[in-house]
Amino acid sequence: MRRSDLGEFEEVVLLAVAALSPNAYTVAIAEELEQETGNMVTSGAVHAAMQRLEQKGYLRSVWGEATAERGGRRKRLYTVTALGGRIMEESRAVRNRLWDRILPAIRLEWS
Amino acid sequence: MKSKKNEVNKRSHQPPGQLTRFINWLVAPHLREEVLGDLEERYARRVKIEGKTRAKRRYWLEALAYMRPAFIKRKQSKYPSTAQRSDPFYNPDMILNYFKIAFRNLSKNRGYSFINITGLAAGMTCTVLIFMVVRHETGYDKDLANGNRIYRLETENIKEKHTSPGTYTGMAQALRTDLPEAELVTPLLQTYGSTFSIPSADKRFRESVVFTDNSIFGLVNYRLVAGNASKALGQPNSVVLTKSYAIKYFGTADVMGKTIRIDNKQDLVITGILEDLPVTTSFPFKMLVSFSTLKVIDPGLDLNRWNGWNDNYQVFVLLKKDVFPAQLTKRFTAIAAKYMGKEALPEKKIKLNPLSEIHYSPNLSGRTANVSLLKTLSFIGLLVLLIACFNFINLSTAQAFKRAKEVGIRKAIGSNRRSLIYQFLVEAGLVTFLALLLAVLVSQLSMQSLADILAIPLSLTDLYNWQTGLFMTGLAILTTLLAGVYPAFRLSGMAPAWALKNHGLTQGKQWFSIRQGLVVVQFTVSLILINSAFLINRQLAFFRNADLGFDKAAIITVGLPDNKPEKLQALRNQLTGTAQIQDVSFSFNSASSESNWMQGMEYRQGPSFTQIKTQMKMGDSHYLSTYGIQLLAGNALKDSDTSNFRVLANEVFIKRMGITRPQDAIGVKIYYGDGQQFATIAGVTKNFHVNSLHQKIDPALIQVVPNNFYQAGIKLQSERPDAESLKAALTQIEKVWIATFPEHVFEYSFLDETLARAYQSEIRTAKLIETSTFLAILIACLGLFGLATFTAEQRTKEIGVRKVLGASVASLMALLSKDFFKLILIAIIIASPIAWLAIGQWLQNFEFKIEIKWWMFAVTGLSMTAIAMLTVSFQSVKAALMNPVKSLRSE
Repeated sequence: MRRSDLGEFEEVVLLAVAALSPNAYTVAIAEELEQETGNMVTSGAVHAAMQRLEQKGYLRSVWGEATAERGGRRKRLYTVTALGGRIMEESRAVRNRLWDRILPAIRLEWS
Repeated sequence: MKSKKNEVNKRSHQPPGQLTRFINWLVAPHLREEVLGDLEERYARRVKIEGKTRAKRRYWLEALAYMRPAFIKRKQSKYPSTAQRSDPFYNPDMILNYFKIAFRNLSKNRGYSFINITGLAAGMTCTVLIFMVVRHETGYDKDLANGNRIYRLETENIKEKHTSPGTYTGMAQALRTDLPEAELVTPLLQTYGSTFSIPSADKRFRESVVFTDNSIFGLVNYRLVAGNASKALGQPNSVVLTKSYAIKYFGTADVMGKTIRIDNKQDLVITGILEDLPVTTSFPFKMLVSFSTLKVIDPGLDLNRWNGWNDNYQVFVLLKKDVFPAQLTKRFTAIAAKYMGKEALPEKKIKLNPLSEIHYSPNLSGRTANVSLLKTLSFIGLLVLLIACFNFINLSTAQAFKRAKEVGIRKAIGSNRRSLIYQFLVEAGLVTFLALLLAVLVSQLSMQSLADILAIPLSLTDLYNWQTGLFMTGLAILTTLLAGVYPAFRLSGMAPAWALKNHGLTQGKQWFSIRQGLVVVQFTVSLILINSAFLINRQLAFFRNADLGFDKAAIITVGLPDNKPEKLQALRNQLTGTAQIQDVSFSFNSASSESNWMQGMEYRQGPSFTQIKTQMKMGDSHYLSTYGIQLLAGNALKDSDTSNFRVLANEVFIKRMGITRPQDAIGVKIYYGDGQQFATIAGVTKNFHVNSLHQKIDPALIQVVPNNFYQAGIKLQSERPDAESLKAALTQIEKVWIATFPEHVFEYSFLDETLARAYQSEIRTAKLIETSTFLAILIACLGLFGLATFTAEQRTKEIGVRKVLGASVASLMALLSKDFFKLILIAIIIASPIAWLAIGQWLQNFEFKIEIKWWMFAVTGLSMTAIAMLTVSFQSVKAALMNPVKSLRSE
C-alpha cells in the first residue's frame, strides 16, 4: 500500500460506495456517513473525495435517473472498480494483520 | 408554460435562490447538474426531517463545501468553443497577441516610441514628485491622538486683518483660570541662540530651545525613553532632551540626572529623554526646558504682560471632548475684556486655530507648507502631464494612416472594433508602463534635489509606500486612458475599404485640425510657463537690486550673548581698532529683519489720539552710520540717551502722525501705548525698508536701549571686500568676539544673505517654475519634432517633385515650417494675456514690484518661436536637402 494514496475520509467514502452499490450517489453516501459517524458530512466533501477517487481509478461513475427531489436533475451513480476493490482489500488486510498481533491482554486494558 | 408553473408549485420547498444562483455561476459547468441536484435533494430531505429553518442553515454549510478549487476549476476542453472566445478581452491568446503586436510596433518605430516614452516619463516624473511633496506636506501632525481637539490660541488685529501666532505672556495663566473648557493649556516659548555647554567637558553648542511645562506631554505624543511625563518639567532648572541630542552632548543616551549649562549661567538637570521625533511634526523640539526656569534665567521677565507680544511665545490648548471653538467666542471676549480692557475689544480678537492648520501657518517648527505654492505645483504638474499625453495622442494619430492598412486587413479578416480598441489601448498601456518605470527611476534620482529646492525633508519612504504606489497605478491608468482612448477609437473606427485604399492624405485634413489644436495647447502652456519664469526672475532681480534705503553690502552681523555696557564697550574698542572695519553698531536687530519688536505708540493731539503700530529699532549712536540710513532733520542719537527717551522716527511714522515736514516733528511727544510714559522725537530719518519688500514700510522708531542689544552690525571698510580681506576681517572679529565672550559659540552672517532669505519662497517658486518650464518645452519640442519628422516623411515625394521642378531649399523649408509657425503664433496670442493675468495676480503679494510690459512677452514669444523653429528645421532641412532621385525612384 502506497502511503497517502488513500486518505482516511477517502477510504470511508470508498467503503460506503461499495456498501451502497449499486445505488451509491453523493447524497446517499453523505447521509449514510452522517448516520454512521454522527458528524455532519456535506455532500460537497463527499463529492470532492469521490472526484479524487475517480481520478485515481478506484471509482467509476455513470449518469443515473432524474428525480423530482433533485429538481429534475440526474444523479451520478458510483461503483468501485476492480482496482478500487483490490486497494480496499489490501488496506483491510494490513489492518487485520495488525489487529491480530495485538495481545488480548492489551485489548483488555482498553475496555 | 403552464406545466412549468405547476412544477414550480410542486417544488414548494425551494432552497435559497440567490445562493443557488451563485453556486450555479461558481461551479464548473460539467459539474453543475450533479452539484445542484445534490444540493436540492439534500435540502428537500432535510426540510422533511428537520424543518425549513434548520434546512436553510444547513444549506449554507453545504453550499460552502462546494467553494473549493476542485469544483470551480473549469474543465479543459479539447476543442475550445468559439462561443467562449467571442470576448477578445478575456481571451488569453488574444491578450498575448496584443502584447506581442504592441512590442513589435514599439520596436519598429523606435524614434516615436522614444519620444513618447521620454515625454510621458518626464510628465509622470513631474506628477509623481509633486504628489510626494503634497502627500508629505499634508501629512503633518496626523499621528496625534487628540489632534482634533488641539488648538493654538491666536490674536487677530481686527483693523489690520492680521493674525499673530504668538500671544501675550499672561495668556497661559488667563486661560487656566478663565477657560474651564480647556483640558490642557500649554505655553511654548522658543528662544534661539542660547549657548549650551557641559561644565565638565569643553563642548559648546548654540541651540534653540523651547520653554514649556509638563502639559506638553499630554498635548503632543512625545515618547519618553526615560523620565516621568508628569514630573519631568515640573521643577525649575530641568531639561528634557531627545535621544540624539543626548548623544550629541554626552556620547551616550544614558544621561538622566546629568547637568547641562545654559548661557554659562544656570545648570539644568536632565529629567527626561525623548525618543527622536518623526519628520512630520509641528513640534520638532530637541530641548525642552521647564517653563519655571524662565524666571530663574531672567528674573525681570514679565509673565503677565498684556501689551506687545512675541511670535515665538505660543499657547496651545487641548479642549475637553465635545467642545467646539465656536462655542467659546463669549469666553474669549470676556478674557480680552478682563485682561486687555474693554477698549481693546473692537481691535483685538482672540481665537483658536486648529492643529490641522498649524503646518500651513507660521509655527515653531520653522517649517510652513506654502499652500499656494502646492496648488500651483499640482496645477503645473497636471499641465505637464497633459502636454505629454498630447504628444502621445498626436503621434499615434499622425501615424494612423501608416497603420491604416493594418487596421483594414484586420477588419477584413474578421477583427471586430472592440478587439482593435483593446489592441491600441494595450499599446498605450505598454508605453505608459515603460514610461512609469522610467519615471520612478528618475523620481528617485531627482528627489533629493527637489527636496533641497523646496526645503522639504523627503526620503525614499516618501516614494516607496502604498499611497504613492496606488497613486502611480492610478496615474498609469489615467494616462493610458488619456493618451490611448482617442487614438484607439479614432483608429479602430476607420472603414476597412477606406483604410485599405490608403487615402491617408486626402482624409488627413480632419486629423490635422485636432492635431493643430493639441499643438497649440502644448505651446500655450509652455509659453505661459516661460513667461511666468521670465517675469518671476525679473521680480527676483528687482528684489536683489532694490534700493532699501540703507546699505546691506559688506555688513557682518554677530550675536551678543551678553549686553553689559562694559562688555560692549570693550568689543567696540577692539573692533574699531581693526583696519578692515569701518563702523560697529549694537542693536536689537538689523535695519531690515524678519523678527521685529512691535509696539503700539500713541500720538496725542488735543482730544484725538492717533494710534501707530510701530516697529521699535533699538540701536546705538552708530546705527545710522553703520547701516547708511539718512537723517532728514534733527539730531542723531547719542549713546548716553538711555534714559531720556529721545527717539528717531522714520518718515512713515510722522506721516501717520499727520506731519508732512520732518522739521515739524522734532520735539513732539509720543506715548507708549496708553500709558503715561512718553518719548520725544529727536530726529527724522529717511524711509528705509524695515520689512522685506513684500510689505509696506512700517512706522519705525529708533531708540537707545542697551538692554535689548542682541546683535552687532559690523561694517567693513571696502564695499566689495575680496576674499582675502574678508577672511582677515572675519578672523579678527572672531578673535575679538571670543576674547570678549569666552564661553560662547561664535557665529556670524552676512546681512545681504540674511535679507535674501526673506525671498526664499519666491526663489523656490522661481526654481520650480523654471524646471517645469524646461520640462514643458522639452516635451512640447519632442512632440513637435515627432510631428515634423512625420510631415517630412509624408511629403517626401512631394518635395522630390518640387525639387525637380526647381524649388529652392529655402522655399521648401518655408513650406515645411509654415504650418508650425502659424500654430506657435496662435499659442503666443493665447498665452500672453493669460500669463499677464496670472503673474499680475502673483505680484499682488508684494508691495514693491516690477511693472509688466508688452515687450517682455515679445521676448519670450520670440525665443519660443526660435526654439520651435530650430526643432522643426532639423527635419525640414534634412527633407529639403534630400536628393529627389532617391525619393522619386521607388514607387
